[in-house]
Amino acid sequence: MEKNFLQSSIKDSLFTGLIALALFGPIIGLRTVAQNEILVVQPKWLLVIFIVAICAVGRFLINLYTFNRDQKAGHQSSIGKSIGNFLDTKGTQIAISAIIFSIIFPFLPFTDRYLMDIGIMMLTYIMLGWGLNIVIGLAGLLDLGYVAFYAVGAYSYALFAIHFGWSFWICLPIAGIFAAMFGVLLGFPVLRLRGDYLAIVTLAFGEMIRILLLNWYELTKGPDGLTGIPRPSFFGLPFKSFPEEGEQTFHTFFGLEYSPMQRIIFLYYLILVLALITNLFTIKIRRLPIGRAWEALREDEIACKSLGVNPRNTKLTAFAIGAMFGGFAGSFFATRQAFISPESFTFIESAIIVAIVVLGGMGSQTGVVLSTIFLIGLIEVFRDFESYRMIAFGGAMVLIMIFRPRGILATRKPTITLEKKKG
Amino acid sequence: MDLAYFLQQLINGVTLGSVYGLIAIGYTMVYGIIGMINFAHGDIFMVGAFVALISFILFALTSIALPVVLLLTLLIAMVFTACYGWTVEKLAYKPLRKSFRLAPLISALGMSIVLQNYVQAAQGARIKTLQPVIQGGFTFMEETGFTVSLSYLQVFIVLVTIFLMAIFTLLITRTALGRAQRACEQDRTMTALMGINVDRTISITFIIGSSLASVAGMMFVMYYGVIDFYIGFLAGIKAFTAAVLGGIGSIPGAMLGGLLIGLIEVFWSGYISIEYKDIAAFTVLVVVLIFFPTGFLGKPDIEKV
Amino acid sequence: MAIKLLDVENLTMKFEGLVAIDNLSFSANKDQITSIIGPNGAGKTTVFNCLTGFYKATAGSMFLNKENEKLNLRKFSDYRVAQRAGVARTFQNIRLFPQMSVLENMMVAQHNKLMDASGFTLLGLFNSPSFVKKEKEAVEISKYWLDIIGLTHRADDDAGDLPYGDQRKLEIVRAMCINPNLLCLDEPAAGLNAKESAELNKLLLFIKNKKKTGILLIEHDMSVVMEISDHVVVLNYGKKIFEGTSQETKKSPEVIEAYLGTDE
Repeated sequence: MEKNFLQSSIKDSLFTGLIALALFGPIIGLRTVAQNEILVVQPKWLLVIFIVAICAVGRFLINLYTFNRDQKAGHQSSIGKSIGNFLDTKGTQIAISAIIFSIIFPFLPFTDRYLMDIGIMMLTYIMLGWGLNIVIGLAGLLDLGYVAFYAVGAYSYALFAIHFGWSFWICLPIAGIFAAMFGVLLGFPVLRLRGDYLAIVTLAFGEMIRILLLNWYELTKGPDGLTGIPRPSFFGLPFKSFPEEGEQTFHTFFGLEYSPMQRIIFLYYLILVLALITNLFTIKIRRLPIGRAWEALREDEIACKSLGVNPRNTKLTAFAIGAMFGGFAGSFFATRQAFISPESFTFIESAIIVAIVVLGGMGSQTGVVLSTIFLIGLIEVFRDFESYRMIAFGGAMVLIMIFRPRGILATRKPTITLEKKKG
Repeated sequence: MDLAYFLQQLINGVTLGSVYGLIAIGYTMVYGIIGMINFAHGDIFMVGAFVALISFILFALTSIALPVVLLLTLLIAMVFTACYGWTVEKLAYKPLRKSFRLAPLISALGMSIVLQNYVQAAQGARIKTLQPVIQGGFTFMEETGFTVSLSYLQVFIVLVTIFLMAIFTLLITRTALGRAQRACEQDRTMTALMGINVDRTISITFIIGSSLASVAGMMFVMYYGVIDFYIGFLAGIKAFTAAVLGGIGSIPGAMLGGLLIGLIEVFWSGYISIEYKDIAAFTVLVVVLIFFPTGFLGKPDIEKV
Repeated sequence: MAIKLLDVENLTMKFEGLVAIDNLSFSANKDQITSIIGPNGAGKTTVFNCLTGFYKATAGSMFLNKENEKLNLRKFSDYRVAQRAGVARTFQNIRLFPQMSVLENMMVAQHNKLMDASGFTLLGLFNSPSFVKKEKEAVEISKYWLDIIGLTHRADDDAGDLPYGDQRKLEIVRAMCINPNLLCLDEPAAGLNAKESAELNKLLLFIKNKKKTGILLIEHDMSVVMEISDHVVVLNYGKKIFEGTSQETKKSPEVIEAYLGTDE
């Protein structure tokens, strides 16, 4: 028995090693490099041998571990579950402390420019995640082209702000409406498609928008991008170090020393407020008939039809509202960067936002925050290893689907309960 | 002149269509058997192109005759790339067969990101240029001023594609393996109860799909001479479009769809706008999925209530 | 004389040459239970799918008498049949929203009404009193039905966690929440034990007698069919082979032949 196991397990590891050799041998072992404009191959056999050995030994250890575990039987760790339970029960307290933390964050002693930038970036992704959560998490529509709405928001904001000189608070809703209109425009024909077809069509749509932005030079300046997007002002008070004659700026108005951090802090609060609005909106709308219909559609479209729920309009609303929040986030992005180009709106951005929603637990608002901190943190920590971090990122998506397909926070609370009504 | 231009576009379109068709077969087979879009398939094609590139570079150092080099490279690319297809299925899809419906799609998306960045990390982000392997060709209609050329390479690509198509169609329609595959498409549980190894059948489907994609990769690197780690994304979407256009689940359909997409793309860039050539394929995808979801040779999908 | 509720005439449904329903005519009355029976593959569910807009019938007419209106069901497609004509249905393989609570299932069934009350979400966002009132009413209606099937204590549990028999009953009362004119039940007794079947009979008779809702029933369980149907339509190979009361049906030689076959 023991011997049999050992034998088969060694065989299995050797096979794993062989496959690993086939996988990594050519691609890693034979790196092609250009020498005098001619490609030559640089062998890296040591690295390959090392990786193959790791695969084989790793496989052997896994076999050993599962064998021992099966002997003991029934013992299974469920860290994910206990974290989930903890967060479910303490949800409100955690949410409140998180909000308090994010409010005082800019004034904490260790907070510097770098951390503020990361904070702003994370909040942008959290907002995008919350927006997309309506589409994917609640309505169950896998939208792989969400970045298109982000782009539409950013470009419409930028174009209106540059050409008409309108202020942020006017351009923001316009950008949102534009994005929502695009959502309807795309959604109208495609929303009756089945899940995976919808995914691929939305992906194609996202790419079409990007190609359009790249080539419609008269409007978008193509790959050069739009520059000189007006910076936001604090209710009409600009952030400027040297105000013009007679001009009030933020620091003169409040009698402060000028510091570039003031604008950063303002931007931080701006995105915090926008994100919280998205969140409150989603929490509220989930409890309304439309929100319940979204979730019902996700569960069973045919049953919905039999109850007289109009699937197309219901999905379209989810799509448009999700797109609108994407558009809001896009305008924030444009005003923050003061420069936008199609490069910021590639497919990988969509993939990151989808991963945030899926990892968090579809439909879970807290989950989006947790997974943003985890994923964007992961990308940020490994920022010097461009492609390795994306390997880790993609790998994380696969592993989550295998081990916790419903995401970190998988439980959902009913939108309406009988007990509370009575009590 | 106009006719010559047209003929030239036709030749180029058929060549490109062969490449798309070979990739599309992988999509269509996998979709047929487990009902999922194998998102990472385009990247498998990219890996195939890299393996072929490396193989060509290595053979260039030897003095083996060209036909042997072509044959060996074909086999090497198929074998190594098939390993990728097999592994991807084992790692990322097999554990998810009973999961909720979007799970395999998201997992495939993750796998696609992994493959792209893995190749980028291992082989570098720069584009790779390959010296032409097959040179020369036929020329026609020189008297009109606009020469139509048909290179040997184009002939090679189309012939190999036809040859492989024929072999694999025979494999699917005439052998026990093909029968097992078609049985799995209909009802996996029942097939398993009949004593057919479903896991193995699915694995073999991935192996076949990947090796055909690797052939497409080899053609691609020979035809265009430049590749990078990102080629799988666009080619993947276009090939998927081809699979849908031909009728997903149908192998002749995939080939037909590939040919059409190749022609549409080439004619679009030739006559309308080269900047928007990718939009052509996307538009076809959207239009076909909306108005014509069963494609040319697909079976209608009646909603079961 | 009972009032005619549903009038189906010369209904035909073809799938690429395969005739699933062949020139079928029958009618169903208000406050009556009409059963459609027949061997497997006789086309019963297809009739439902045509009636409820999931399939587009190849030919024929279907009219529903709603108060003083005569509604042409063929004009409505999928969800509109439930929304406009008030034809509700259940499914052979139960279709609840398994991850949503029992109460939420009932609320989704009252979607259209609540959607109007929420001013297409705008009023709802600001908790307008009229919407809050309507929502309370909807909860009361849900509670009323849940009390009848004895599931009030499980209102906040996921519908998917209910035992099979309760899921069947929940699906029926959920369909009742749209306040239908006609309720189409597709094998509601499938998989139920004798006690549950008896409860189901009680529920259906309650709907018929107290709610005055016409019921169209597909069923294999003859104890259910014979006990509660007022009218039976027998199908075989998409054709009507018999129509009459349950007593007449039992004795009909054509029906016996269809079910048991003939010696040749």
